[in-house]
Amino acid sequence: MRVILQTKPRKNPHIPIEAEAVIPQNFLRKNDIRVYEGNKERKLEEIFYITTEGPAVSPDQVEIVLAGETGTLKRVGEYMNAGRIVVEGDIGMHCGNFMSAGEIIIRGNADAWLGREMRGGMIRCEGNAGHYCAAGYRGEKRGMRGGTVEVMGNSGDFTAEYLCGGEVRIHGDCGDLTGVEMRGGTLIIGGNCHRPCGNMTGGTCMIFGNADAMLPTFRSNGIEEREYEGQRFQMMVFRGDVANRGKGTLLIRKK
Amino acid sequence: MKIEDVVCPFCGCLCDDLVVEVEGTRVVSVENGCTLASEKFMGDHRLKSPIRRAGKRWEETSYNEAIRETAEILCDADRPLLYGWSGTHGEAQSIGIHLAELLGALVDNTSTVCHGPSIMAIQEVGHPGCTLGQVKNRADVIVYWGTNPIDAHPRHMSRYTTFADGFFLKEAFRDRKVIVVDVRKTESANIADEFVKIQPGGDYAVLSALRAIVMGKRGIIPLSVSGVSREQLFRVAALLLSAKFGAIFFGLGLTMSPGKYKNIRNAIELTEELNRHTKYTISPMRGHWNVYGSNEVFTWISGYPYAVDFARGIAFYNPGETTSVDVLRRKECDACLVVASDPGAHFPKACAEHLAQIPTIQIDPHTNATTHLSRIQIPVAVTGIDAEGTAYRMDGVPIRTRMLFKGNYPSDTEILERLYALVKEAKGL
Ligand code: SF4
Repeated sequence: MRVILQTKPRKNPHIPIEAEAVIPQNFLRKNDIRVYEGNKERKLEEIFYITTEGPAVSPDQVEIVLAGETGTLKRVGEYMNAGRIVVEGDIGMHCGNFMSAGEIIIRGNADAWLGREMRGGMIRCEGNAGHYCAAGYRGEKRGMRGGTVEVMGNSGDFTAEYLCGGEVRIHGDCGDLTGVEMRGGTLIIGGNCHRPCGNMTGGTCMIFGNADAMLPTFRSNGIEEREYEGQRFQMMVFRGDVANRGKGTLLIRKK
Repeated sequence: MKIEDVVCPFCGCLCDDLVVEVEGTRVVSVENGCTLASEKFMGDHRLKSPIRRAGKRWEETSYNEAIRETAEILCDADRPLLYGWSGTHGEAQSIGIHLAELLGALVDNTSTVCHGPSIMAIQEVGHPGCTLGQVKNRADVIVYWGTNPIDAHPRHMSRYTTFADGFFLKEAFRDRKVIVVDVRKTESANIADEFVKIQPGGDYAVLSALRAIVMGKRGIIPLSVSGVSREQLFRVAALLLSAKFGAIFFGLGLTMSPGKYKNIRNAIELTEELNRHTKYTISPMRGHWNVYGSNEVFTWISGYPYAVDFARGIAFYNPGETTSVDVLRRKECDACLVVASDPGAHFPKACAEHLAQIPTIQIDPHTNATTHLSRIQIPVAVTGIDAEGTAYRMDGVPIRTRMLFKGNYPSDTEILERLYALVKEAKGL
């Protein structure tokens, strides 16, 4: 089944729509789906033109296509456990929060908290991602725990904060304090980043660009070879963060 | 008439030993206070009555009319913001949260542009803090990191640290060691035993380095960290460890520089590391006199200290998403009520521009930068001068401010109670 949700013009397009109900499993049951515009509850059809094509007997046969002014849609794909969501443009904050399975493809940019505390599944953002990509919620000690997040462009500050499991691949640059408080999982950065892996206790971070303003509390641990996009590179290996008695591994491409 | 033991409603020190002389409805002299206190008590630029915008000019209106119009604007909004609260008493703040819940509004206080990051760090790793009384009586090493108390909290040093003799420190000025860490040499740095000049944005790295040194990993430290030499880092670590009781105070130089709450987290974790060797505490230098109170009141009612979004009927908190600067910059709000603060002066330009475009109402005794962005302003009594109520000092100690005379203005509580009643009636509750 293919569900196409095309946004309708709104009086105030800056007010975000909280759309955690937009997940494949909800469309299978054809529930009365509601979203929030500011403090007003709206029926799905008040916000979108809805087109449904074909049948489905399980959520993994459901594909949702979001089109139009999608950059203010928040929490799309939250707790998603099967199926596929394709966003034709940008997507708002918290896309794929806590998702455990399925696939989200974003053709444009993603706002902050993309794949927050994700447990499984796959998110691919073809543009840039905002701050806290694949990170945790405020005060939460564990961020993303499983699955894959891939960003073809850049991501903002605090990328993969509290990463515990799964794989995060940022092909462009990352912002400040990338991989801060990392505890597990793998973070791969194709471009540059700033102050990586502060306070990390576990996991592996590989940086194939430059690591600016490296923190002074990582212990050098030799050279290793790693592959990125079909090429092999010499990587300087560091262990830390010593300030936190950490045992994480940070690899930075040797120039 | 001279009134003793008056509480100063200006900064987070909330000094409670002022002597104020009052004649009728005017303060004529202030003793014991700093220059900021004198300015606050003696300043006399109050708005006479509520005003509303009529085209390009202002016209006077009645309290009834101003409150009724405010209620209508807020009830009509899909995403109203109630901002400020740090310059009023706890009782008014409490009505503010209930009003936000009733309206399905966002409610935020000035922590959003000051110590919000400190709270976020405390939510991650806890807060080894203490009262200022403990500091005064016990602390033999004081650290001021990213704060300049001589200018911003003028009596902090004389009441609690450098110049204040304590129970266990009979000659404080000689017995206490003071370390000042900042990006420039401030007035406070001039009287420090050790001044550490950090490159802007280098705090996180220096804190990490100090943690490593304190835990005995000196060998890892490079020759210089963010402009601070290894020798000075070793010296500072030794000074920190020499304390019987150490107290670290930090300000916006740490909360609002790159890294934000992670800087504070690192400072708290340094404090924890020091506590393996001796006794250490850490405390934020809170700015507005009752900003700590706004965090307390917000938390006990909504569960969160600031940036609370009631749009869905339940409290949601996520700084960066529900903080007023972010919400205004994204042009989300369609109405704003400002109580006891001045976002027009403190917020980025894009936020001020949006405030000017939406109906903004201000409840404040004085005209200020926000007045120019507002449609309506309702003047009120000044808490601690012609209104009373509870405030929280920067260390979390509640202190009752006093009413020095009965003036002609209603208090924030009275205005907000009337507003709440009108909104409740409009909602049919
Ligand atoms: S230090 Fe702060 S509270 Fe104390 S008198 Fe000065 S302004 Fe008032």
